[in-house]
Amino acid sequence: MKRITLLIPVVVIAAAIALSSMFIVDERENALVLQFGQVKQVRSEPGLYFRIPFIQEIVRYDARILGLQTQPLEVTPEDDRRLVVDAFARWRIENVQQFRQAVGVEGIRAAQGRIERILNAAIRQVLGSVPSGAVLSEDRTGLMNQIRDVARRQARSLGVDVIDVRLTRTDLPQQNLAATYARMRAEREREAADEIARGNEAAQRVRALADRTVVELVSSATRDSEIIRGEADAERNRVCRGLWPRP
Amino acid sequence: MSGNSGGPWGGGGGNRGGSGGGNRPNGGGNNGGPERPQIPEIDDLVKKGQQQLKVLMGGRGGQGGNGGSGGGSGSGISGRGILLGVVVLAGLWAFASAYTVKPEERSVELLFGQEYRVGNPGLNFAPWPVVSAEIVQVTTERVTEVGTGRSGLDTGLMLTRDEAVVDIDFQVNWNITDPNNYLFNLADPANTVRAVAESAMRDIIARSELSPILNRDRETIADELLTAVQSTLDSYESGINVIRVNFDKADPPLEVIDSFREVQAARQERDRLERQADAYANRVLAGARGEAAQVQEQAEAYRAEVINLAEGEASRFVAVWSEYRNAPEVTRQRMYIETMERVLGGMDLTILDNVTGEGGSGVVPYLPLDSLRTQPRATQGGN
Repeated sequence: MKRITLLIPVVVIAAAIALSSMFIVDERENALVLQFGQVKQVRSEPGLYFRIPFIQEIVRYDARILGLQTQPLEVTPEDDRRLVVDAFARWRIENVQQFRQAVGVEGIRAAQGRIERILNAAIRQVLGSVPSGAVLSEDRTGLMNQIRDVARRQARSLGVDVIDVRLTRTDLPQQNLAATYARMRAEREREAADEIARGNEAAQRVRALADRTVVELVSSATRDSEIIRGEADAERNRVCRGLWPRP
Repeated sequence: MSGNSGGPWGGGGGNRGGSGGGNRPNGGGNNGGPERPQIPEIDDLVKKGQQQLKVLMGGRGGQGGNGGSGGGSGSGISGRGILLGVVVLAGLWAFASAYTVKPEERSVELLFGQEYRVGNPGLNFAPWPVVSAEIVQVTTERVTEVGTGRSGLDTGLMLTRDEAVVDIDFQVNWNITDPNNYLFNLADPANTVRAVAESAMRDIIARSELSPILNRDRETIADELLTAVQSTLDSYESGINVIRVNFDKADPPLEVIDSFREVQAARQERDRLERQADAYANRVLAGARGEAAQVQEQAEAYRAEVINLAEGEASRFVAVWSEYRNAPEVTRQRMYIETMERVLGGMDLTILDNVTGEGGSGVVPYLPLDSLRTQPRATQGGN
């Protein structure tokens, strides 16, 4: 019995060491094996791997597509009108080792800050070279692709692949909104006035036509009635004249 | 993380060993004495269990290196105990490994973190700890709302091509077609759907004018949006299927909605004016047609009257004439007298014969000027 009680801790410690030398890389992550801060292995395929316990350290990074929403940014397109723009990017860590070297221990949060700066610069660069009308047109998709390409080139040094960049808001600055609303109101007022005027026009047209038709109808009836009366008088004369030839 | 994933193995074993070896004997020593008279069987069972656990731990350890001593001490207690322990552990293991998948769900099983199979609804088995399972609600519709103003930025105000602002709310309903892609490709699927949908909608709105958005283009916009969102999500290999897009609201912003209502009111006013004019026209035209008919009928009546009267008079005249021709003198004399009677009969007239001639009666003609003046007035008044 004493030997057994002595054995138990030994077994437990042995098991713990064996277990801590194994690690699983999930489908969703990539792992770096660091030995005293030096990158020893990159494990980007999922599966069961081994390491030297206590000496080698495992750092895991998300291998999925990550999101990033930029803060609203005021850009000045070519025609000097201002637009408030924000975008979202989808990115993933392409090269774990490069990512670690470029970003350091803070990992994804630090990377997001740097990618956002890259994106903001790309947005300013691309949108600054076109008139503001192009942002509100069919060219928008093309502009988004340009921004993505610029951002992708620059983010490559972080070991990051920018998969997609999409503009979300492309709005007027707050102080321009009042003017926009005033313009929209004026347009509506114009439309309302137009509607009423057209209503009056149509009404007047209908009334005039009706009045004309009334006069036409009545006068034509009067003409007919005068003809009839004339015929009647003529008939009377004929009847009376018809008397005289008799001897 | 490796410590965590190892935890269930090493830690579990350690705890079980600890509780079997350390705590239970103490408990038995303190409480076992007084309780024994009441429930001796339970106490026995506890003791047996403790022993068996010890044996089991020994047995497990023995498999690795010290099989002889473990087997020796185990056989000293009982072979049945070992069996019982193994069965209990196997049961626990089976309980931890089996899981159910509901009809609306699928599970993805990972063998050492590697995608291995998809579990269909029913009872599934993922042998712990080698295989782990993730359950995903697949067929359930999920709703992502955009523009409802939950957060400060998500106001739903979008800029159109003609630089007007429109307030848009819509929902995207989606489910999952490929649970593998859904789990492994996107870090934040719900937010991705939201961001993609909002971006696609703003893209569409930025390409169209304000007024078609407000009325007739809603259906086409919803279709276009669905296609755009789906293709973007497909490009991420997200495993998400967009079922439909509900286009809830496309209104002018609150600040200007009054003027849009005024346009509506003006449209109705226009309609009212036109209808009023139509009513006037109908009334007047009907009156005119009636009047025309009346004039014509009156003329016809006149014709009938005149001709009838003429014919009547003519035949009367012919009748009188033919009689006159039979006796002209007499008839003429009678007609003269009758006529004179009719002409003079009503008059206030005095006839004096031979007043001024010779041998006259001496009557002085007197002209009553005052009655001449008053009489016509009296007759007029009488009439």
